[in-house]
Amino acid sequence: MSGKATDLRAALDAQADTILGLFADSGYEYIEPEILQPADIFLDRSGEDIRTRTYVFTDPAGAELCLRPDLTVPTCRYHVEHGQTGPGTVRYSYSGPAFRFQPGGHDELRPREFDQIGIEYFGAEDSETAEAEVISLAVEAVRRAGLDGFQVKIGDLGLFNRLLDGIDMPERWRKRLRHDFWRPQAFHETLARLSEDPAARVDRELDFMGGALSDRVDETAATLDQLLTLRAIPLVGGRSVQDIAERICEKAADRSAPPLPQQTARLIQDYISVTGRPRDALHRIMNLIVAAELDLSTSLAAFARRITLMQDSGIAVDSCRFLSEFGRNLEYYTGFVFQIEYDTPAGPMPIAGGGRYDTLLSDIGADRPTPAVGCAIHTERLLAAVNGDY
Amino acid sequence: MRAPFSLALPSKGRLMEDAIELFSAAGMPISKLGDDRGYRGIIAGMNDVEVTFLSATEIAYRLREGSIDMGITGEDLLREHIPDLQERAEISARLGFGGADVVCAVPECWIDVSTMSDLDEVSMHFYETHQRRLRVATKYVNVTRGFFADCGVRGYRIVESLGATEGAPAAGAAEIIVDITSTGDTLRANHLRILDDGLVLRSEAVLARSRLALDDTDRLHISDLILDGLRDTI
Repeated sequence: MSGKATDLRAALDAQADTILGLFADSGYEYIEPEILQPADIFLDRSGEDIRTRTYVFTDPAGAELCLRPDLTVPTCRYHVEHGQTGPGTVRYSYSGPAFRFQPGGHDELRPREFDQIGIEYFGAEDSETAEAEVISLAVEAVRRAGLDGFQVKIGDLGLFNRLLDGIDMPERWRKRLRHDFWRPQAFHETLARLSEDPAARVDRELDFMGGALSDRVDETAATLDQLLTLRAIPLVGGRSVQDIAERICEKAADRSAPPLPQQTARLIQDYISVTGRPRDALHRIMNLIVAAELDLSTSLAAFARRITLMQDSGIAVDSCRFLSEFGRNLEYYTGFVFQIEYDTPAGPMPIAGGGRYDTLLSDIGADRPTPAVGCAIHTERLLAAVNGDY
Repeated sequence: MRAPFSLALPSKGRLMEDAIELFSAAGMPISKLGDDRGYRGIIAGMNDVEVTFLSATEIAYRLREGSIDMGITGEDLLREHIPDLQERAEISARLGFGGADVVCAVPECWIDVSTMSDLDEVSMHFYETHQRRLRVATKYVNVTRGFFADCGVRGYRIVESLGATEGAPAAGAAEIIVDITSTGDTLRANHLRILDDGLVLRSEAVLARSRLALDDTDRLHISDLILDGLRDTI
């Protein structure tokens, strides 16, 4: 495709005016982040899907740049670089092109260059109120653009993390499970492995250390340091002797830790498979938690409050669908997540999506932890859905 | 006028010698045209075949484009440069020489890392302590991505390397590498260790046909003649 036809461009512009008008009326400041972005931030922070689909290139001066694959990270960079990192809240809106390689070939419904309109809300201390504000603006934006008959899918990564925190297991296993959450297959395999007897494993470091394993990191590091020097093995690859010794000790501790009880593995599986209307899902999760004698009252109260706030701001909560496994494949999300979908003959098509990402701003240089929640709308897909082009 | 049938052979090194030897053992000796360093040749008795000598990478590119009919190159290069290999070309014969493995190797001092799953875990930790991802030096960008995705390793980024990849960790340009090796000696000399499940691809020299040859009856026929001629020797 060599460019959009004039009438399509006009329709997209009109749609953008409607949506940006709504965001402006709601107190969101319009910004235009740069299209060209430093590549490393995206390559380091995004999930596999975005990373492999980002257009990356080297400029004549040797800097590694990319065409932005979304506008969330550029908005965060804008925020950090304009020095507005003090306390208080900031609301931004944006509209502009984003670029993603389409491995199966690009066409009108899977464009490699498309317009995103979105909002990002930084620094709000009341999490649920901010989340309800963002999701209800997303829903209202899609409605004002003329779409009905869409579905809203929600999830909560924070709840999953609190569940893991509440279960007694080595911290390393928690990390492992969190890490694998994004890939269902790996997650189920990891869970199965953790609930088996770990004693059978043979690890290379046992041989290397000649069985002289200490449970103290400093002793292990000292031994390791000597052995490396003795065998003339250079320390390369960016990990210190301390780093390696720490992991040797963690693995050693794992071997002596009891496996995850079967009933705990089942609890996690049961939690992961909860889906349904948000209120029903909440009850189901509460029953699981109570049966397992865990205390997640703060997280569950937040869940309940969010539902109420969403209801109050005009969202038909009972027609939303909660999926505990729903986490999106952008790894920077940390809590509440949502997606607005439209049914097409080819399956549900995501029209808009967003969520909470509390670590991204400090990761890229904000001088304090800054809570953040936002969403982005895929404007070409929205217009196609409104026009019945699917 | 239609372009003549083109067969491309590697232009240097063992790969070239073995390829020429293969044809001559099969009774289809190749003579280079012009002086010894000429880049064109003919097969005795097959006047309609034009032989060109190109770099192994160039042969992979041309097979992808379909601008040559047939070529000998490394399987590693085909897999790397033709992601949709099945659509573009056919590996018609494996030739039994030029064998080498594409492997994933880590610094020898990482004694706690034996498997790809260890690597995944270390990558998480590395990200927490360094605020950046593990860097993988390789010239096999696509092959590496596919392999790491299959193993579920995500905390990495690729640093494209155009030579002496095995030196990247010592030079501080990357933490780990994916590279080709036949004996593993170079890796050991550079204090790198292949992971237990770090075999990315077992490669050898292959004879491949492009769409140009597969989609045209006459060209397909010529390529079949060449294949039949080689069959007993391979």
